[in-house]
Amino acid sequence: MTQAPPVGAITREVPVRWRLSRHSRRLLTLAIAGLLLAVLSRRPELVGVAAPALLLLGAGGRRAGESRPPRVTVRISPEGARLFEGEPAWLDLAAGDLSDGYDLRWDFHPGKGIEPASAVTVTAGPAGAARFAFTVPRWGKRQAGTAELMLHDRWRLTEGRAVVTLPSLDVFPRPGIQDTLVTLSRLPNRLGEHAARTPGEGAEFAGLREYVPGDRQRQINWPASTRRGRLMVSTHPAERSQDVVLLVDATSDVGKPGTSALDYGLRGASAAARAYLERRDRVGVITYQWGGARWLAPSLGRRQVYKIIDTMLRADAGWSRGPSFARLPRAALPPGALVVAFSPLLDQRFVESLRDLRERGFSLVVVDVLNVSPPGPRLPVLGLPLSSRPAGRLAAGALGAAGGIDEIARRLWQMEQQAIRFSLRELGVPVLHWDGAEPLDLPLAPYSRRPLVVRR
Amino acid sequence: MSALGDGLGDGPADALGHGRGDGPADGLGDGAQAAGGSPLARGRILALAAPRLAALALGVASVAWAALPLSAAGWAALALTVAAASVAAGSLRLALLEVPVPQEAYFMGLPERTWYQFLSAIRTLAWEEIGCAALLWLEVLHPARAWHTAILGAALVAWLLAVHIAESGAAAAALLRRQARVLVLGAGLLALGAAAALLPGASSGGGAVALQVLAVIAVTAAVILVLPG
Repeated sequence: MTQAPPVGAITREVPVRWRLSRHSRRLLTLAIAGLLLAVLSRRPELVGVAAPALLLLGAGGRRAGESRPPRVTVRISPEGARLFEGEPAWLDLAAGDLSDGYDLRWDFHPGKGIEPASAVTVTAGPAGAARFAFTVPRWGKRQAGTAELMLHDRWRLTEGRAVVTLPSLDVFPRPGIQDTLVTLSRLPNRLGEHAARTPGEGAEFAGLREYVPGDRQRQINWPASTRRGRLMVSTHPAERSQDVVLLVDATSDVGKPGTSALDYGLRGASAAARAYLERRDRVGVITYQWGGARWLAPSLGRRQVYKIIDTMLRADAGWSRGPSFARLPRAALPPGALVVAFSPLLDQRFVESLRDLRERGFSLVVVDVLNVSPPGPRLPVLGLPLSSRPAGRLAAGALGAAGGIDEIARRLWQMEQQAIRFSLRELGVPVLHWDGAEPLDLPLAPYSRRPLVVRR
Repeated sequence: MSALGDGLGDGPADALGHGRGDGPADGLGDGAQAAGGSPLARGRILALAAPRLAALALGVASVAWAALPLSAAGWAALALTVAAASVAAGSLRLALLEVPVPQEAYFMGLPERTWYQFLSAIRTLAWEEIGCAALLWLEVLHPARAWHTAILGAALVAWLLAVHIAESGAAAAALLRRQARVLVLGAGLLALGAAAALLPGASSGGGAVALQVLAVIAVTAAVILVLPG
């Protein structure tokens, strides 16, 4: 009875390349050396030295040659094709269609960015099965690597080698934490979960008014009616949903891998996507990068999270500069949408796009994910950063000309950054700083307590 | 990965936590525990060390046996040096079998790079093959002594088997049990060869020619039998 392969398992037929094992090469060397020296030196006892090696080779080689499979079927069962960065994962390998006459060993050669979390060489268990655990520290599309199957015959005189290419993995950025939401004061006329300013049939209490004919009886607020001596009815706000567009700036990836601006941008955007989709908002994404923008139109539902993250995974802060553009795609930006941008604000074109968006009447919130600054000036001789010098020991003049220029450049850069943020605030765009470690609710708190007023 | 299924409902932290809690820890085999840093049992250390020590001992014994009586001049000294170096390097290779060599050495310092180049060199050359040839050559440089040569042959086969068991991790008892009959037969042939050498006329005349023809046939048969199709 054959066992059904697990869901998601991939079966591949791989050619096996057979060759002599090191052991048989050694035996062959001993035999040939013994026989040659016997001939050259005319000493027959050296033929005897070659005899055991020749016997082993002959008997073992004949046995191994009887059933040497040219191909082997390998079943790869990854735990899944998608995982979050840093999350433990594993894949199971099994070799089928082999007789019992072979000892099997698996070697796992992880791809770039894959960190093995278990032994990479495993003697196969029953049915040639082995399991390799690994983690992927950083998001992206990764090749899992290759697995090498070594087959040894029982006498270990021949060995077969089969190499299997493992499937690629989609590694999602680890989402940040966000529970509270920024809500617009003016919401589109679509059923949702946010309390709007207009009266409606929502669950939240909005106020009281006098009863007028036509009001439903169940809306009468009896305690208030008793106190005031006339019929009062409770009013409720309408419940509406909003369109949210997440704008991720992938033009600059500054900082150490794992804690760079792009890492924080993607983690923040993932957190925001999940939070808004849980409240039944329509969420879309635009990834702004060199050479253009990738975007996904706003939509609802659980699958949208994965679509958004898939779109973001293609973000690449590469080196090539594509055609410049200032306006973001209209189709990705529904009128009246809330735009939440995650950016280090280092690219002037992106800042111009934000200004353009604001001028087009969109409500914007910018989450600043820049958490690094240029290093301070270095001491000319020691090469030490200025920040590491003993306080008060060195005067600024002792830095030398190069150090002084560094310091001035650094200050200019800081002033320029402050000016960018100031200009956005002047346009009515809140700029919040997020350090990537704390929940996003903290920087968003001033804007999530009450609706964000839409100014056109 | 399992976090994906629950992720939306449970919130990010739950989703990640759920993913971490599942399977991989259960899935690691013995090798994984070893890689994780848990102390190896004393029995396991012995199982790893015993074949390597046996290989070292057999290699040293073979060199010492072939070197006797000691001759410190000419080709004999060279053969002895090569044999001793091969046994030492082969034993070192076995001792450092588990030390990994990184694929990229670009960012390494000089001492680290030198160390990994040394490891690569140790693993590249076929020390045992060189050792076998050198020991037989050393034996030939000595005057004919049939039983001495036969014992050297037995020691060499034992050394090669020990090296193989040490580097492959194969179960020694099972492997030797499977090959026992062939090994016994080989030992018999070894003794026959030594006995034949003691016969008068074996090293010259018609007997010697017959032995040479037999040797050529045996080499040809060995090559045909062993080379995989």
